Amino acid sequence: MHLLLSGAAKNSRERKMPNFFHIVVCAGIAPDPLQTLEPATGPNGPGIKNEMLLPAVLDPWAASALYEAAHLAASCAGSKVWLVSLGPKAKLQQLMMTVAQKASFELIAIDGPIGGFTDAHATASVLAGTISAIAGLDKTKLLLFGGWESATRGAGVALQLTGELLGIADQFQGVDRVEMSDDGSFEVLERVEGGKHLASNCGGAPAVLGWATGNLPEPRNNPQVGMANMRTMMPALQKAKTVALDPNGLRYISVSLPSRQRSTRVVKDLNPDEIARELVEWIGAE
Amino acid sequence: MESILVLTHCDETGAALSKGSLEAVTAAHELAARLGEALSIGIVGSKAESAAQSVASAGARVLSVSGEAFTQPRFASDAAACTAICRAAQPTLVLAPHSSRFGRVMAAVAYRLGGKIDTHIASIGGTEGIEASRWLYRQRIEAVLTRTSRPWFLLMDGGIHEPWSGEAAVPHAEQLAVELPAFRTRFVGFRSPDQGGAGTIRPEAKLLFVAGAGWTKKQPDGQIRAAEAGDLILQFLRLSAASLGSSKSLVDQGGDGNAVLPFLNHLNQVGQTGSTPRHPKGLATCCHGEEPHVVGWRFIGERRAISLDPNCGWTRGKADVVYIADAFQVMARLNALLAKSGS
Amino acid sequence: MSSEVQRPATDVDIACVGFGPAMGGFLTTLTRAWDENPADPAFESKIAPGMPLQVICYERADDLAAGVSGVVTRARGIRASFPALDPTEIPMAAAISQERILYLLDPIGASRRSFILRVADFLLRPVTRNHAFELPWTPPFLRKHDGLILSIGQFNQWVASQIMASGIAQIWPGMPVGSPIFADDADKPAVLGVRLADQGVDKHGEPADGFLPGMDVSARLTVVGDGPVGAVGRALSKRFKHGEEHDWALGMKMVIELPENTELEPGTVWHTFGFPEPEIFGFLYVHPDRLASVGIFVPSSLGDPERTAYRYLQLFIQHPVLWQYLKDGTLRSWGAKSLAESGKTGEPILSGDGFARIGEGSGSTNMLTNSGVDEAWTTGAQLGEAVLELLRAGLPFTQENLAGTYEKRRRESWVESGAQRAEHARNGFHHGFVRGMIGMAVAGLSAGRFSLKSGAPPAHKQIRPFTAGDKSGSTLQQAAAQATAENRPLHDALLSARGWPEIPLDGRLLITQQDALLLGGKVQAMPGFADHVQFLDRNLCSSCFEKTCIAMCSGQAITAGPEGLPAFEREKCVHCGACLWNCAQSSDGEHGNIEFRAGSGGLHSAEN
Repeated sequence: MHLLLSGAAKNSRERKMPNFFHIVVCAGIAPDPLQTLEPATGPNGPGIKNEMLLPAVLDPWAASALYEAAHLAASCAGSKVWLVSLGPKAKLQQLMMTVAQKASFELIAIDGPIGGFTDAHATASVLAGTISAIAGLDKTKLLLFGGWESATRGAGVALQLTGELLGIADQFQGVDRVEMSDDGSFEVLERVEGGKHLASNCGGAPAVLGWATGNLPEPRNNPQVGMANMRTMMPALQKAKTVALDPNGLRYISVSLPSRQRSTRVVKDLNPDEIARELVEWIGAE
Repeated sequence: MESILVLTHCDETGAALSKGSLEAVTAAHELAARLGEALSIGIVGSKAESAAQSVASAGARVLSVSGEAFTQPRFASDAAACTAICRAAQPTLVLAPHSSRFGRVMAAVAYRLGGKIDTHIASIGGTEGIEASRWLYRQRIEAVLTRTSRPWFLLMDGGIHEPWSGEAAVPHAEQLAVELPAFRTRFVGFRSPDQGGAGTIRPEAKLLFVAGAGWTKKQPDGQIRAAEAGDLILQFLRLSAASLGSSKSLVDQGGDGNAVLPFLNHLNQVGQTGSTPRHPKGLATCCHGEEPHVVGWRFIGERRAISLDPNCGWTRGKADVVYIADAFQVMARLNALLAKSGS
Repeated sequence: MSSEVQRPATDVDIACVGFGPAMGGFLTTLTRAWDENPADPAFESKIAPGMPLQVICYERADDLAAGVSGVVTRARGIRASFPALDPTEIPMAAAISQERILYLLDPIGASRRSFILRVADFLLRPVTRNHAFELPWTPPFLRKHDGLILSIGQFNQWVASQIMASGIAQIWPGMPVGSPIFADDADKPAVLGVRLADQGVDKHGEPADGFLPGMDVSARLTVVGDGPVGAVGRALSKRFKHGEEHDWALGMKMVIELPENTELEPGTVWHTFGFPEPEIFGFLYVHPDRLASVGIFVPSSLGDPERTAYRYLQLFIQHPVLWQYLKDGTLRSWGAKSLAESGKTGEPILSGDGFARIGEGSGSTNMLTNSGVDEAWTTGAQLGEAVLELLRAGLPFTQENLAGTYEKRRRESWVESGAQRAEHARNGFHHGFVRGMIGMAVAGLSAGRFSLKSGAPPAHKQIRPFTAGDKSGSTLQQAAAQATAENRPLHDALLSARGWPEIPLDGRLLITQQDALLLGGKVQAMPGFADHVQFLDRNLCSSCFEKTCIAMCSGQAITAGPEGLPAFEREKCVHCGACLWNCAQSSDGEHGNIEFRAGSGGLHSAEN
């Protein structure tokens, strides 16, 4: 989905920038948005029933972040994109067969639990530790990308904490656009209340950008991109380290699917005039 | 033994607390009263002291951080301000509004205080302990949770508690000095997208008006009447001051080369991959009422729908009233009535 | 589409089209040998020296778990590949515990039964329970008692996961293959590779935003396992000698979560026939965790031009013998697929220079035992063995070499002998249901030695045309009037006019067909692909009365458009391929007027 870009903005995106970035994208797994979800409580606490069987996608806003990262890296020569993803290894493997066709990146897979009921602080701790250990990562060039809020936990905490743990002092959330200047500084648009965006200027990397939908359409499946990614992806999956996530004192007292049934009155016998009158009254009533 | 701090911030004027902040104050005041514990209020903003007047009646200790650096949202300055207030107040529980401003920083602040955070909290209850409820999986699953860690930060979602209203007075606000690093980020301005978004999204509106894909599909007479649809919808928004939402399929149609409503974009999208706005009433038109969209109606109070399909999702427990009718005809007459009554 | 366009190109050793049981058998066999001895020089890539064999499989569906079909199988070939197979390892799998065959009578009285059948119903009635007669004994040719119940989606996913973990084969979902690349100058069947579907095109296939021409993949061997309606298989059949693919059925199925107090045990298998129409076979398979696959097969031999599947399926599940168990259930998933039922008669050439065909699209389904998955898997495994043999011998994938290895193995196996016994088993159905059943019994019990020998006419001829008399017939007229008045499809109104009751929608198990797309199958399609269902000669469409394509479209993606032309909405298409064989018109006397090409989209539910 596109916001209209002004002409100048479009041009600057297509120029090759002299600065390069090391973009690390953090993205988790979410159930395909159309799936029916039901909570279930197991020995490890609550989860989604059959979550391992449900078709999964890369968390939607984190996926936007990945595509934005790939786009940015393409326009800033010398840049590199890593994708850090925590989830059950088998699920990550399935997922990567689709994601790897859409953008070029180096995968760092972490074999861990699935689901939004895990503690965000534990996730952040694992992510920060993993990112610190990335060979060849230049922290002064680091742009930490991810989704503003996940489609699972939806808290907006894990990415922020990861940035804090990595000592990054400039954070932006709800990002829809970033525009680079020649000197490595950039302007960011963040979603704020009332359907508006807040525009800020940041002096440069390192920075955290938690993306909303961004501007780019989902890239097409490109088998050449996929095949190129495969060379690093399979080894990365094979050497994924296994982690457990500490609940950190978080305890769920209950999880439930709210009942959504209203007793609906279906009106078939009123003409448009009568319906309009009824609606005016309803809209005006307190 | 708990001690409660509610963090608040100023709105765009800089001189008054944001609505969400006032709601958080109400929530915190209720919690403090229930637990029988002390309450402190922290305020961040350029003119924090003048904003403090609206909450003087809460009878709480007031700590403020004010100055030019805190006029507009920025991670580094807001995080530093909140951290300073927390260090001064030494709370065990911290409430704050889940605004974009505080959502940006509060997890980091919790970390700096050695605490834990939970966000998008709908309510705080519990008989023996403190139980917070929130939604997961995009408003599909409701969870009630608790933590033993302290300090425990809770970001409260807006539109649930009443905003604090009491006699304004000048409180004794302790002004805190905050050591600030050199900033690398500076505020530039606010932007409205060229189309859709700010013109049509009104969080304060009493009514959410959702336009579905049926507006731009072929009508029973075989015609596509996208221009007429656009006119009717815009006119309704103008006359009713409703907020405009849309189904994903209608927003997606632009991508597939079909007739579109030019004033809609993805910010208007309501549903699983869109937003979940809060309004007392919602009117769905030309919309099938399928689950991925309807989950976005979680926080809409009274619901009505206009559809030609007597078997659509709305008729089965998702709406209070469904009118089986042609939306073009109903909306035209509705607009005429609204125009006449001048409302 | 256009070949003047600059296309990206790549080389692989083996290109695979489609991922289903057949391809699962092929890739499992191949990757297992590699796991045992990766240093085997047979696995050295010839197109990327220094690298292992480049084996890439392209699958249309966006997710490998979205395969359609609850299945019951004897799993002989599958168990040969997985000797220690434990059903509990595969989600939704169960060992068969009970098998029944039920003849369903019609409690409503709307079904169209011949006189003989009515007499039989009358005579059987005293020994029926819940309007069903259970056969006291399962004929041996139908028995699956040592087999498994599987969800194809979960089985495919499970198999794929192991294949990919080995590292030598890649399976790319969301990657529809448009066509084979033929070697034009060859004097015998030869394929050089495949061309992937163009992306970033408009519905007519013309380049639009973000045009990405489909990549040309050159391969030493192209393995075609894209099923009975796959674009590559059909292109090969069109170009080279093929059998008569006249017999078809549409299988449509629901996955239902049974009520908490259900008495049905996992491993329960029911086969049914007789209701809603006598020719409609049905099934119930019970998986673990209170899930049941329930479905029907609507055959091409059911000549009613307004035949349809979805409403018949809803009527089927409400038959008293089933409804007693299903009635408080919840619909979890839904899907449909075409089944190629021509067996050996429909077998195409199995290999040529640079290509081999496996699975259902190669005519492996056995129409006597009603099994296809195990046969498909086995043909894939046979090709796998053949390929290993040729790789180890350093021989090229020529037609002779493939015939001498793959086809030889296939011809000498139980797949072939079973196919021969089944060859004429179903012929009788073209002369009526009772004859069909007699024919099948005769063929089954005599192991194929005796059968009704008659051919099946092409699919379009199996659809009984409306005659002038019909059009003034009161039922049809009444239906047409009702259809217009209530804005519902003709086939739906016709069923009501014949006396079938309206479906009492409950929003949970009995839901509208559109809701089944959204809730049950989660159907969607990526933007940027052309319409993959094409109506070839529009004049034939506008002059067609029957429009069976509309009645049989599983997703209601084909609807009546203006001027008698059909309209197609690809976002609703579940890729069942029914349109291909439900066209009442033909310009060449053999094929229908509808082409089913490669496209994106389809089912997204995992509970398949």
